[in-house]
Amino acid sequence: MDPDPRRFDELSRDAELGVPVPFACVSAREVDPRRVPQCALSRVCGICGAGLGRPLAFVGSPEEAARNAFHFPPAHLACAEALLAAYDGVEAAVLGQQKPLGSWAVVTTAGFEFVRPSRGQVDARPTFQPNSLLEERRVR
Amino acid sequence: MAIADVKEYTHLTPEEVEQIGRELDQIRADIEESRGAADAAYINRLIMVQRGLAAAGRVTIGYGSWSRRGRVPALVAGSAMLGLAKILENMEIGHNVMHGQWDWMNDPEIHSSNWEWDTAQPAEQWKHSHNYVHHQFTNVLGYDNDIGYGILRMAREQKWSPANLGQPVYNALLATLFQWGVALHDLDIERIRRREKDPKELKRQLRQLWRKVRRQAAKDYLIYPALGGQGWRHTIAANAAANLTRNLWSYVIIFCGHFPDGAVHFTEEEIQDETREEWYLRQILGAANFQGGPLLHILSGNLGFQIEHHLYPDLPSNRYAEISGRVRALCDKYDIPYTTGPLHRQYGQALRTIIKLSLPNHLTSRDDPAPPERADTSDRPAQHRRRRSDAERPPRRIELGGWSLQPDRSGDSDHQEV
Repeated sequence: MDPDPRRFDELSRDAELGVPVPFACVSAREVDPRRVPQCALSRVCGICGAGLGRPLAFVGSPEEAARNAFHFPPAHLACAEALLAAYDGVEAAVLGQQKPLGSWAVVTTAGFEFVRPSRGQVDARPTFQPNSLLEERRVR
Repeated sequence: MAIADVKEYTHLTPEEVEQIGRELDQIRADIEESRGAADAAYINRLIMVQRGLAAAGRVTIGYGSWSRRGRVPALVAGSAMLGLAKILENMEIGHNVMHGQWDWMNDPEIHSSNWEWDTAQPAEQWKHSHNYVHHQFTNVLGYDNDIGYGILRMAREQKWSPANLGQPVYNALLATLFQWGVALHDLDIERIRRREKDPKELKRQLRQLWRKVRRQAAKDYLIYPALGGQGWRHTIAANAAANLTRNLWSYVIIFCGHFPDGAVHFTEEEIQDETREEWYLRQILGAANFQGGPLLHILSGNLGFQIEHHLYPDLPSNRYAEISGRVRALCDKYDIPYTTGPLHRQYGQALRTIIKLSLPNHLTSRDDPAPPERADTSDRPAQHRRRRSDAERPPRRIELGGWSLQPDRSGDSDHQEV
C-alpha cells in the first residue's frame, strides 16, 4: 500500500464502534494483512502511518507481551497511548485480537524482528518480536 | 502453484523444506544471540572512518580550490576521498542502518528511524521502495520495481517494445545519474503517467523529495563551493566527480545483486500463500553474490553477500561473511543453487542481459550464455510491464500456506518438465 500518513485526529472512524481506525487496520477490529509487512519493512507507525521514531511501541495482549510476539505493527509511543485512550471502554475484540481484552500491554523497544509465519504454525500470522526491550506496562 | 514448484526446488520434499527453514532460523538465532559490543564497535568505527574521509576530502578539495600550487593533485585526492566517504555512507552505513540492522543498539543516531543518508532520495521513500517493495516482493515480475527500475527490460517474460532498443543508452544514463534515478524510484512514474497515483500522496512525496534534493544540491554545489572562494568552479567539479564515482559504484554493486545468470524471476502465483520456509527459498534463488576480499565487501555494503542480505536484511552486515559459510553449506547439502562469482563476471552477465534483452526474444538465443530467465515460464505469453500499485499487491492469507492447498503438487508433471 502507498504510504498515507495522517495525524491521529485525522484517522477515519470505525463505522461500527466509532473509534479511530489505525493505518494498519481495515476496521477497528481487523488488521489489514497487507499493511503488516509494509509497516514492518518500511518502518512506519501502524497507527498514523508516518515514519517511526525512538522508542518503538508495541501494543497487544498481556499474553503477547509474555511471549514477546506481537501481531500489531510497531507504533509511535504517543500514537499507542492515544489509541488505547480512544479505545478505552470498547467491549469488543479490536486491533486483531481474538477476544476483548481487560488490559493492554505496551512495550517499548529500540528494535524488533519481523517473523513470518512458518508452515504448520497454528496462528499463521506474522509476529513482531522486540529485541531490545526498554519498558513494559499495562493499560486498563 | 507455489514457490516450491519452482524447478530448482522440486527435488525437495516438504519435510526437507521445513528442515531448511529450521536451519536458517537457527542461523538467525545464533547471530542474534552473539550480537553485541564487537558489532557495535564495528559500526561506530566505520562511521568514524567515513566522517574522517569526508572531512579530509572536503578540506583537501578546499585547499585545491584556494591554492594554485598542487591544485590538480589536491582536487584529485580530495575528490577520491569524498567519493569513498559517500560510497561508505550510502552502502555500508546508510543502507544497512535503514534496514534496522543496528536498531538493537538503541543508539539515538544509528537507528533506522533517524538516519538520513547522503543521497537525493529521502530515507522514508527508500524504506518504502527498497525495504518493503523490493525485499517483500524480491524478483517477482510485476511487483518488484527493482527489476529494471521501470526503464530496462531485464527478463524475457517482460513484453518487448521498440523503446527497449535504446537500453544500452538508458543503462549508461542510469549508471551516471544513479542517485537521481533512485530519487525518483518511489514516485512510481508509471502510475503517475496513468493518473493512478493519489495526488495528495504524490504532492507529499514531491515536497519531501524537493526538500532533500535542495539540501543535497546546496551542500555540494553551493555551500562548499562558496567556501572555495575564487576556485569555486574547481570545488563544484571535484564534488561532482565524487558524486559520479559513488553513482557508478553503487550502480555496479546493485546490478550484481539480482541480474547475473542464476538469479531467478518469479511469478505472482508462486508467491501466493508463501510460508517463511518458501520465502527463504525465494530469497536464495532470487539473489546473486559476488566474491572478493574484506575491503571490497565493506565498500559494497556487504551486498556481495546479497543472498544472506535477503535472508536476513535486519542482521548486522558485518556478520554476513560468517553467515555465508553456513548458508552455502546448507545449499550444498540440499542441492540448492547458490549463485556467486567474481564481481567482473557478475556485472558482465548483468550487462549482457541488458544488451541482449534490448532485442525481441525471437532475435536472441535462450541458450548459453543465458540471460537470467526461468525456462519454465519464459515461453508464457509476455506479461504487461505495468507496475502494480501497493493496493494491488496480494494480502497474506491467514490460513496455512500454499502447502495445504496443493498436497499432490509433487506429481504435477507440468511443473517438472523444464
